[in-house]
Amino acid sequence: MLFRSLARPTRREPISLPSLVLLGVLLLVIGYPLLLLAGMAFNVGDAQALVPTQLGFANFVRLLRHLEWVRNTLLVSAAGSVIGTALAVVLAWILYRTSVPGRALLELLVTIPYPIGPLVGALAWSELASPRGGLINSLFHALTGSHASLVNVYSVPGIVFVMALFETPVAFLMIGAAMRRMDPTLEECSAVMGAGRLATALRVTVPLMAPAILSAWLFLFISMMGAFAIPTILGANSRFYVATTAIYMLFEGYPPQYPLAAAVGLVLIVFAAAAVWFYTRALRGKSYAVVGGRTYKPRLIDMGRWTPVLLAVVYAYILVALVLPLGTLVIASLQRNSNLTFSAASWTLHNYRYVLFEFPTTRQAVVNSLLLGVGTGTAGTALAFILAWVIHRSRGSGRFALEQLAMLPQSLPRLIFAAALLWMILALPLKLYGTLFAVLIAYIIVFLPLAYRSITGVVVQLDRSLEEAGRVLGGSWLAVMRTITLPLLSPGLLAAWVLLFMISVREVSASIFLAGPGAQVLGPAIFNFWDSGGLPQVSALVVVQTIIIFAALIVIRAVSKKGVAL
Amino acid sequence: MLMHEAGADTKEDSMPERRVFIRVTNLEASYHGKPAVRGISFDVGEGEQLSLLGPSGCGKTTTLRCIAGLEKPTAGEIAIDGRIVYSAEHNIDVPSERRMLSMVFQSYAIWPHMTVFENVAYGLRVRRTHAEAVRARVTEVLRMVGMESYIDQPATNLSGGQQQRVALARSYASLPKALLLDEPLSNLDARLRVHMRQELKRLQRESRITNLYVTHDQEEAMALSDRIIVMRDGLIEQVGRPLEIYDTPRSRFVADFIGAANILAGHALEHRPSGATLSVGGARLACAPREDMPIPDADGNYLAAVRTVYPELRRERGDGADNWWPGTVRERILLGDIVNYVLEWPGGTLRVHGFPHTLFCEGESVWVHIPAGRAILIDADGD
Repeated sequence: MLFRSLARPTRREPISLPSLVLLGVLLLVIGYPLLLLAGMAFNVGDAQALVPTQLGFANFVRLLRHLEWVRNTLLVSAAGSVIGTALAVVLAWILYRTSVPGRALLELLVTIPYPIGPLVGALAWSELASPRGGLINSLFHALTGSHASLVNVYSVPGIVFVMALFETPVAFLMIGAAMRRMDPTLEECSAVMGAGRLATALRVTVPLMAPAILSAWLFLFISMMGAFAIPTILGANSRFYVATTAIYMLFEGYPPQYPLAAAVGLVLIVFAAAAVWFYTRALRGKSYAVVGGRTYKPRLIDMGRWTPVLLAVVYAYILVALVLPLGTLVIASLQRNSNLTFSAASWTLHNYRYVLFEFPTTRQAVVNSLLLGVGTGTAGTALAFILAWVIHRSRGSGRFALEQLAMLPQSLPRLIFAAALLWMILALPLKLYGTLFAVLIAYIIVFLPLAYRSITGVVVQLDRSLEEAGRVLGGSWLAVMRTITLPLLSPGLLAAWVLLFMISVREVSASIFLAGPGAQVLGPAIFNFWDSGGLPQVSALVVVQTIIIFAALIVIRAVSKKGVAL
Repeated sequence: MLMHEAGADTKEDSMPERRVFIRVTNLEASYHGKPAVRGISFDVGEGEQLSLLGPSGCGKTTTLRCIAGLEKPTAGEIAIDGRIVYSAEHNIDVPSERRMLSMVFQSYAIWPHMTVFENVAYGLRVRRTHAEAVRARVTEVLRMVGMESYIDQPATNLSGGQQQRVALARSYASLPKALLLDEPLSNLDARLRVHMRQELKRLQRESRITNLYVTHDQEEAMALSDRIIVMRDGLIEQVGRPLEIYDTPRSRFVADFIGAANILAGHALEHRPSGATLSVGGARLACAPREDMPIPDADGNYLAAVRTVYPELRRERGDGADNWWPGTVRERILLGDIVNYVLEWPGGTLRVHGFPHTLFCEGESVWVHIPAGRAILIDADGD
């Protein structure tokens, strides 16, 4: 699928007990919600029942009247993922293969929009480029006296633009990692054989990078199909619905229309599966061993007089994806009311006092999000480590299936899977709904692929003989784990922990249905706050969230100089 | 070496009988789901230096890892110092850490998060040795390998050769019952490899510990072993002392894998206990005696191996009736210490190892002699 670190097994061996237990747990928390979702989609009986009372196709027939939901989703996801991937290829090539100055800092700045997240991006850009009152348009009016709008982010191109902007860093990290793992002699050989720079790029570099680029595109495509914050905030004014916003509307309406929402979700999952199938087919027989685990230091290309142009591209990206959004929100958070003013004299910190201390809902959300971040980081890292361990360091069959299952949530649009998780939480005889624990479970599951991918990277790189030496010299399994394995893996585990912490703090899609009065969390709280107005306060809350994420980023930079390992 | 006669090395013949220390019986194991070791048995004597030699994929490393307890065999039995540590039949599988062995890995497996001291002390500390005793022993073994001045350095600062020394010190530190070495020299450059080989030889002499050494390098096996087991495709091809394997290979595989040999094919003219005679092309080649008839090749011809160092080149015919032929030097390659000739003789072409003290020219007519004791009848390879 999207990610495979094991070869398909050739010989059958008995399944081991840990594999069996893990398979059972994952089947329950991943398979069961999907089963509920499928059942719900075909439920034509009692719309509030979790288990279908009567099966039929009526929901899909009703969906035919709302085909624009599916069409809009595919449109923005396809356009956004292609633009985002293209941008990532350009950025990765500039920063990893050319000799532009200041690469280390630029590499960091380019990745920051990802942990900051699409919700922040959408809020900031609606502030910057709304047709009426947006900063850019106001500036344009002031300069030209014209009353026409220069830019309008409340539009399909606007949605695509902001989506691409905030998903680009993931693709950048994936493609950049592959670029650094490519043996540079392959390109040098082509050059020695007489191929020019362009011919080498087209005949050697691009084909070798194709699997990584396609994989990044697929990740973006599915991620954008599940995107929620951007289409809601930027599409609501123009009544532009995508699948996720439609599902949210169907959930929030009275009475909630779960079966229709499930049908929309199932159709989207089918499209996501088709994309995965297309990807797998395109890559058949093309898993190049040349892009191996080793990191090379490639010869950097000196682009001479083009260097300023390349730098301008990187600076432009950092400006629109990081500096402008954060700057706007910081300024907005200091305002006394919704009209932005740039005179520092009238600025106030009151909004911060309000969201942090005075308003119980947001105060609780900040505390809960920190708790959740720590919980998801700890439990998610532990689970992913156990999985990676069983899959890569134990024997027996079932490990291939285990890996596929652990990576499955990555192929599911997140908000749709979150809806399925809500039904699982309701269906389990555990009264978890409305508790932080329910949100924690959802986070651990939806971020499992990310955590597993990140930890597998470090487990695979750990030379087995380091542990074997410990065993032969008399260390028991436990002693070797304690004295050798864990100390050697700790930077990688800590990096995974911080990554999970950051994306949990900023998550909206996975928690929008599960957070509620008993379980306030930042993402949904910001969203609801926005829904009910009060821009300066929302901005203050967003800035608080961003400061938490920045603090985590500083920790991650301190533990690994390599940045966020994806 | 030219003056040397087969079977004349009495020093090696007089080696004492040793107590069996490691006994491997009918061992079978698979690697990545494919059978890698297909039923082998051998003993390692106490204090013996034994090498498992063979090309990659022959099962030598899997065998070693089975003894170490790092791989689980599929059948057979392994006993160390009289105690069964693995038995498929009796369902015994003593975990690695309780077999009281130590091992040097191809990658050295020096733990990068520990200092040199901590690395070497590991085996002692996990066995709860007293801190002062640990310090004393670590200092002692580091002195043994010439690394005592690095004792408190982080292990990441070491060069390849230094890591190798630390790995050796670490494996000696806890006084293991036997030392297993898995291609320990293969990651070093050629010059350092020769140097470390001598160091290893010295350490073996000093410590007298039982060694089981896995290598694909025949020179290492020759230099470091009392006995060599040549493996091929998961089976034992030949067991013997180094010179025995060099001088009297049993099969074409061993003759080809160890040293350089001419493989001459011909039909048998006679076969008696005193020796056999083959007709190789137009030449009658008298061979060394062999008790059983060797396995002929697919064409029904018998094979004789002649090491390139043993034929003699002369400008005049020497004494003796057998195995003298006229020949022509077709090619001469001067390598410095040695000279390689390719010769035309009645039996076809022959590669001969010479020395720069007597040089022959290309095109020169010479007499070539193959001592009968140096033409060894060998088994053709099965496949």
